[in-house]
Amino acid sequence: MQLRPTAVLGALALATSLFAPPAPVSAAGDTILFGSAVSLTGSLTKEGHLTQEGYDVWKNYVNAHGGLRVGGKTYKVDIKYYDDESKNDTSAQLAERLIDQDHVNFLLGPYGSGTSFTVAQIAERKKIPMVEGNGAAEKIFNQGFRYTFGVLSPARRYLEGILQMARAQKPAAQTVAITAASDAFSQEVAQGSAAWASAHGMKVVYNNKYPDTATDVSSIISALKQTNPDVILNAGHLQDALLVHKGLKEQNVLAKAYGYSVGPDTPDFANSLGKDANDVFGGAQWSDAVKYEGAPGFYHTAQEYAKAIEGTYHHRADYHNAESSAACLAFQYAIQKAGSLDPEKVRDQLAKLDVTTFYGIIKFDSRGLNVYKPMVVNQIQNGKLVTVWPALTADGKPIYPAPPWGQR
Amino acid sequence: MHLLAQDLVNGILAGGILAVVALGFSLVWGIMNIINLAHGAFIMVGAYVTYQLFTTFHLDPFVSLPISFVLLFALGYLIQHYLLNWVARAPILSTFLLTFGLSLLIVNIALIVWTGDTRGVTTAYSGTNFTLGDVTVPWAKLYTLLGALTITGVMQLWLTRSRTGRAIRATSMDIGAAQLSGVRVTQIYAIVFALGAGLAGVAGTLISLSYALNPSMGDPFLIKAFVVCVLGGLGSVQGALVGGLAYGIIEAFATQIDVTIGTQHISGSGLQDAIALVVLLIVLVVRPTGIMGRPTA
Repeated sequence: MQLRPTAVLGALALATSLFAPPAPVSAAGDTILFGSAVSLTGSLTKEGHLTQEGYDVWKNYVNAHGGLRVGGKTYKVDIKYYDDESKNDTSAQLAERLIDQDHVNFLLGPYGSGTSFTVAQIAERKKIPMVEGNGAAEKIFNQGFRYTFGVLSPARRYLEGILQMARAQKPAAQTVAITAASDAFSQEVAQGSAAWASAHGMKVVYNNKYPDTATDVSSIISALKQTNPDVILNAGHLQDALLVHKGLKEQNVLAKAYGYSVGPDTPDFANSLGKDANDVFGGAQWSDAVKYEGAPGFYHTAQEYAKAIEGTYHHRADYHNAESSAACLAFQYAIQKAGSLDPEKVRDQLAKLDVTTFYGIIKFDSRGLNVYKPMVVNQIQNGKLVTVWPALTADGKPIYPAPPWGQR
Repeated sequence: MHLLAQDLVNGILAGGILAVVALGFSLVWGIMNIINLAHGAFIMVGAYVTYQLFTTFHLDPFVSLPISFVLLFALGYLIQHYLLNWVARAPILSTFLLTFGLSLLIVNIALIVWTGDTRGVTTAYSGTNFTLGDVTVPWAKLYTLLGALTITGVMQLWLTRSRTGRAIRATSMDIGAAQLSGVRVTQIYAIVFALGAGLAGVAGTLISLSYALNPSMGDPFLIKAFVVCVLGGLGSVQGALVGGLAYGIIEAFATQIDVTIGTQHISGSGLQDAIALVVLLIVLVVRPTGIMGRPTA
């Protein structure tokens, strides 16, 4: 989920836009066609496939239930995919092809902040709405784009839940140390966490970043250790989580809670760390334990949704699945409200959308960002991922304070 | 005071790995004048070999170390013999393009074989540590450092004492004179490149103990190898060792820089790379051949 400025692409886009034909608006026959360039190969292959599964589960549900009723007519839905090879520029080129050559009605997002950012520029220029569920960096939404909507909770809220949980314990956590990688997403996570902590009576005793290419963070950990914090947070990606967590054990750093923005939710984390992964907290967009009663038109609850994913794909439902399906759902409700496939009318309905789904609330602020949905907190307990916060949706109690290293 | 001592230890432990990372790269660059952009990919393959042997046969990374070396040595030999020989005397851009393409190829094959999932090698002793006064020393990293020192020592002995080693050094000093003395230069080139790949494999094995594995993991190490080589001086074992340790220690201390000028708060921890590069620049101005490098005739 890294952002890369694509100045060259921007210039190219500007140049070609002068010659681009107007985008067509009508659906081919009785099908509403969605388009998405996702990471089917490249470094984000795994996440890309989870995204595609999320889209397909929605498509299959809708078509199996007779299709979408729009303005008195019933449409089937279909999704045209391309492989963006996990590359920002490729993703943007393919989005353009989806619009110009395949004449898709709407765009579903790619995987990741970097690709979502470049595709958002295409959506904007072609005036075709895009809903994305896999790019959380706020940079995407601070450009004044009108046609891009994101169903994710923004990056700055990723670790908020862990702090809330730690503050609710007796005795409440008083101090927090934050380490963060230097990329845009991680920096937003760190700033959001520090701001929340300061505003809620916690003391931020350490807050520092390291280059996102760092191969060794032991000196950061030595400095952090001296501040003796109650809570240790890392804003980064899976690689960071593993590097920092190993480093904390190596230097025997003891805290009451360890939290990571990305990592504990993926099986790779526990597989790589074994027992040391126990009792670690992770922020997540969704878990199959959340208890929302969704609007009609799709699986009502997270549990029903999880069953469908397991039945079709034979693995536990992942939050990447859920947020991707949620992006489709945003379109579903907006198209039905609009009673039309006109991109402009659907865009306006997306902007006004306020609906509760199996995934949580979907409602966008003026920038197109879903700031209304809380994050959930998961903890690895005895090798299993358990949702422990918010307390209302939890399926277990947090283990707090964490036992010392070697006793997990 | 205690933090400074801890940082010195952190720096030395990290620097030992960097020395091995840079060693193979430095030999290939210094002796063959090839900047091998596939070095990072070789490191990655070495790490995966270790991972595979660890998960399938429960082989400790230090036991699998010679296996990584031999496999990567063979791979390097084949690549040099069938591919690089064609461009041995070509302008540097050709070798650049060729090794870059090679790197892409290897990384993508790894993506197919091992997928993009992140993996780790977690041994029984990983994370365990002992304390010396106030300073914490992790065992796994200490073993890694000892492994690194042993390998650089063996390499140094082999290059100075063995017949092949002396032929390699002769080739790097004066290729014409070496040929006249009966050194088969193509053979030497193949051995040096294979050695570079083998050492990358060893580095991959050592790295897998502390760093998570994925097919693109070699990239940051390639860049560090480049800096360490230039810092320490090209083509010599001592250069790689001194450069690696210096780089590791500079990065460790740079992390603790914390200056407040007026209302502007400057922290060194996000700037480790930049600070290390500034030091490199200063070294290059004062000693253009690197810390241990000798001016060439």
